[in-house]
Amino acid sequence: MSEIPDSISPQTPESHPAALHAGDTVHLPAPTAFPFLLALGLTLVFASLVTSAWLGALGGAIAIVAVVGWFRNVLPHEAHEDVPVPMEFISYIPTLKKVSHIQVDETHRSQFPLETFPISSGIIGGIAGGIAMVIPAEIYGVLRFHSIWYVVNLLGGAGVGGWINPTIDEMSHFRLGAFVTANIIQGATTLLVGILYGAMLPVWPKRPILLGGIIAPVLWTGLLHSIIGLVNPFLQQRIDWWSFAASQVVFGVVAGYVVTRRGKLRRLAQAPLAARLGVETPGLMHEHGHDAGESSKSNGERSGSSQDKGDSPE
Amino acid sequence: MSTATLQPVETEQEWRLPSRGVIAMTSLIIAESAIFTIFVVAYLYYIGRDVSGPTPKQVLELPIFNTVCLLSSSLFIVLAERAIEHGKMVAFRIWWLVTMALGIIFLYGTGAEWYKLIVKDHLTISTNLFGTTFYSLVGLHASHVIVGLLMMLVVAVFSLLGKVKPQHAERVKVLALYWHFVDAVWVVVFTVVYVVGR
Amino acid sequence: MGEGTFPIPHETGAGIAAAGGKGTYLEVIHSWIVTVDHKKLGIMYIVYALLFLVVAGVEALLMRIQLAAPNLTFLSPQTFNRMFTMHGTTMVFLVGMMILFGLGNYLIPLMIGARDMAFPRLNAFSFWMSALAGVFLYFSFIGGNGLAGTGTAPDVGWFAYAPLTERAFSPGHTIDYWTVSLLANGIGSIGTSINILATVFCMRCKGMTLLRMPLLAWLYATMSFLTLVTISPLTAAQAMLMIDRYLGGHFFDTQAGGSAILWAHFFWIFGHPEVYVLVLPVFGMVSEIIPVFSRKAIFGYPAMVAASVCIAFISLGVWAHHMFTIGMTSVGNAFFTLSTMLVSVPTGIKIFNWLATLWGGKIRFQSPMLFAIGFLFQFLIAGLTGIMLSVSAWDWQLHNSYFVVAHFHYVLVGGIVFMLFSALYYWYPKMTGRMMSEGLAKWHFWLMLSGFHMTFDLMHIPGLLGMPRWIYTYEANRGWGTLNMLVSIGGFIQGVAVLIFVYNMVRSYFKGAIAGPDPWDAWTLEWSTASPPPAYNFAVDPEVGSRRPLWDIKHPEDMDSAFE
Repeated sequence: MSEIPDSISPQTPESHPAALHAGDTVHLPAPTAFPFLLALGLTLVFASLVTSAWLGALGGAIAIVAVVGWFRNVLPHEAHEDVPVPMEFISYIPTLKKVSHIQVDETHRSQFPLETFPISSGIIGGIAGGIAMVIPAEIYGVLRFHSIWYVVNLLGGAGVGGWINPTIDEMSHFRLGAFVTANIIQGATTLLVGILYGAMLPVWPKRPILLGGIIAPVLWTGLLHSIIGLVNPFLQQRIDWWSFAASQVVFGVVAGYVVTRRGKLRRLAQAPLAARLGVETPGLMHEHGHDAGESSKSNGERSGSSQDKGDSPE
Repeated sequence: MSTATLQPVETEQEWRLPSRGVIAMTSLIIAESAIFTIFVVAYLYYIGRDVSGPTPKQVLELPIFNTVCLLSSSLFIVLAERAIEHGKMVAFRIWWLVTMALGIIFLYGTGAEWYKLIVKDHLTISTNLFGTTFYSLVGLHASHVIVGLLMMLVVAVFSLLGKVKPQHAERVKVLALYWHFVDAVWVVVFTVVYVVGR
Repeated sequence: MGEGTFPIPHETGAGIAAAGGKGTYLEVIHSWIVTVDHKKLGIMYIVYALLFLVVAGVEALLMRIQLAAPNLTFLSPQTFNRMFTMHGTTMVFLVGMMILFGLGNYLIPLMIGARDMAFPRLNAFSFWMSALAGVFLYFSFIGGNGLAGTGTAPDVGWFAYAPLTERAFSPGHTIDYWTVSLLANGIGSIGTSINILATVFCMRCKGMTLLRMPLLAWLYATMSFLTLVTISPLTAAQAMLMIDRYLGGHFFDTQAGGSAILWAHFFWIFGHPEVYVLVLPVFGMVSEIIPVFSRKAIFGYPAMVAASVCIAFISLGVWAHHMFTIGMTSVGNAFFTLSTMLVSVPTGIKIFNWLATLWGGKIRFQSPMLFAIGFLFQFLIAGLTGIMLSVSAWDWQLHNSYFVVAHFHYVLVGGIVFMLFSALYYWYPKMTGRMMSEGLAKWHFWLMLSGFHMTFDLMHIPGLLGMPRWIYTYEANRGWGTLNMLVSIGGFIQGVAVLIFVYNMVRSYFKGAIAGPDPWDAWTLEWSTASPPPAYNFAVDPEVGSRRPLWDIKHPEDMDSAFE
């Protein structure tokens, strides 16, 4: 337990080889007027555009002098001055009234929650859900209009410039513009919802299926329902809200399931960046778990609190 | 130790930071690229919108020789960088001067082109939209070439005086970065003005 | 609770004797002009910006007097135009940019444990370039016809739409003053941005990895990158305008085939990200102040960094939402509506993270925290009206009305200015060694808050009723009179609040309580040295092992670095 502070106590001045003492000096760049002169010269040159050319000539002369002076100030050796360091070590005394430390178990220590989902889970869940939700939408399109392109055209209709009130027949045929637009809209929105979802995970880490199956669809539907008339009035007119809602639930359930499957990540702030991003680096993860177990002061507690899931998202 | 351990490993490694010259020059290049982008967009936007002549098709010729000169100068400045890194000062001076000479040839070429356009074709910056956008875009690039050449001239003078040492390799590298940028911009300007716009 | 020891440079008798007296006034002025010290430059930036804050505030109040009731003749139409042009230009370039660069200059090296900026001389040059450009801009008031006719001050709005700016429509030098001074100011801004980027990436102290940097440094780096790619288009557009005006070019000359819309595009490619240039550092300040006054580490640090970078990139693709009424294709409208709404995602992440930081914390309602909480609420509301305006159909109805004015002042005053006050209260002890008076600060806060809401909440309503921007007066039968009177009164309440703040600053400089190195019990490196810091910042090059190095020193039994 005591080994941690020992092994990383770089702060005490005694242990610092480069510690200065009273009477030492520090190299600092010497003050110089040339930057000011250059700025003044250039401003005068600019000012000559609205005043007189003479001012410009004066400014130019000042600027040239300043450039030369600046150059000689820096090369071959940077001009510097030695500032003496009158220093003593004083001990730190907070001047304000202290507030009490949050009393929690030491392992928790302002790194709530102990375990959470990696943000990448949200993103991947979003992508998976975005793909899965195409199925009920397509079922609707095929059953109702006998065309797999109807739904695509519905979503991407804004991408076809010349379309004003297209007929059902037009809607049932492949249009490249609509296809591309639909893919962009679907991809961008599901990814964004996924990211939003991922950002919320640390705040609410316990029930991903609830979050994924209900909250996220509500967010997603709410978002679309409120803005769809503005960004794509065409879609709003034709949308079948029942199949739409079915798509949402599929999205939510799939996203929630994917997140659960990807597992929890313990103590986000403590995990290496790779683990936080959810990158699969099995060797790393393993070592991390091993070391964490060994060097942490509360080995038992940690493994007790999350026996079922390892550190790694595998 | 792997990075996954709890012990802060950084303190045991050498603490390395990127070179501030390179970072600063990269930042400057980002800013300059934004300026060029705006001028290029304006040029592309105004192609063919003139209400009076002359048009690019009538007066512009492909500056192939110029382009070869400028682009090859990038190669020579790389050789100069290599030379100074390995402490071969004579080779450095030669490659450096070759680079400058190529830059000057390019500048002369642009000057000759402009002279022909102004005197023979009567195209000035205020003649029409093509004149406005052409002179400002090519002129902006040429001014960057001039600035680059002036800075290279300073290095050349000090190098011939024997003041430039191998330990200045990094500063030379930063300057070379700028020169590469100027060359890269020319590729864009050339494409836009002489290929797309003509 | 341990009380750690760390080396704080302390003036010994010898040091004071060596420094001697303060010298004559001339010597003091000389020392400020030749300085390359990031702290002195930072203070000059801040003082300069505060001076112009008062100047531009007076301009705003003059306009509010003119608009307080129908058919007033307090300002002539020409003067009114010059006032709103100069108010906008000053507030953005001479107040916003300058004060943010000032705080950045002062804080970044201290926070990342460096002795100075990466390029100290460039730093001085950039400051003087921007500062002299501002003086030059204001010289336009006394150029030409002189003060009585308000000279040749620019009068075309801070966006200076073409072709009004062409020689044919704006003879004389009004536009030239505007273009030339902004061009010069831009050189300074680009210089400082390069400097900040180089400092953040190349001057960090040992152990300060990118993911251990204070969020303020991260946000300043993002802001600097954004400045590079936004100020440059403005510079390019100004250069084109100058080519038109001085060399007879045709960039924005509609009669020769030039396009006025292109200017609008170029200006807003700069203009919209500029808002984010102003607001990103402010996000950094919130992220420093809220944790300290909640006694909790910032929540979701990596998400905050990612969101900041995300905002910077998204903000580059939203400019044309300023141009819905100019007319675009339906694809364009849909794209810019969606991209604008997209900004709310990373911004939302940030707001949730700040709330999560507050949640469960031991909140101390001292002046910096009060303003920070004001920021949170007001910035949220500003964001919501922003989402309303991002919808092109809604925007067609309300563009260039007072609703838009109220919206962006909500961002700029309710968000940025409030947070700047918070930051000044927070770091003033570090800069001067003395605390600001908490009593006066409370007066300042409550007056500012009530004045702000009186002005800008009510200002939405005349906008919804159809009152356009830029009009110098209006008819009595429009029914806007009462609201405008209230709005003007609110403006004066804010004016009084700012005066209290200025008085507090001046008074505290001489009479404030001695602050000590760490008055707020904070965790970042700037609090580990004396207040004000010595020229060399740190006696010992700091070395850090976590995001909260001072926490580690103060709590050796419970170090952050043990958990990273």
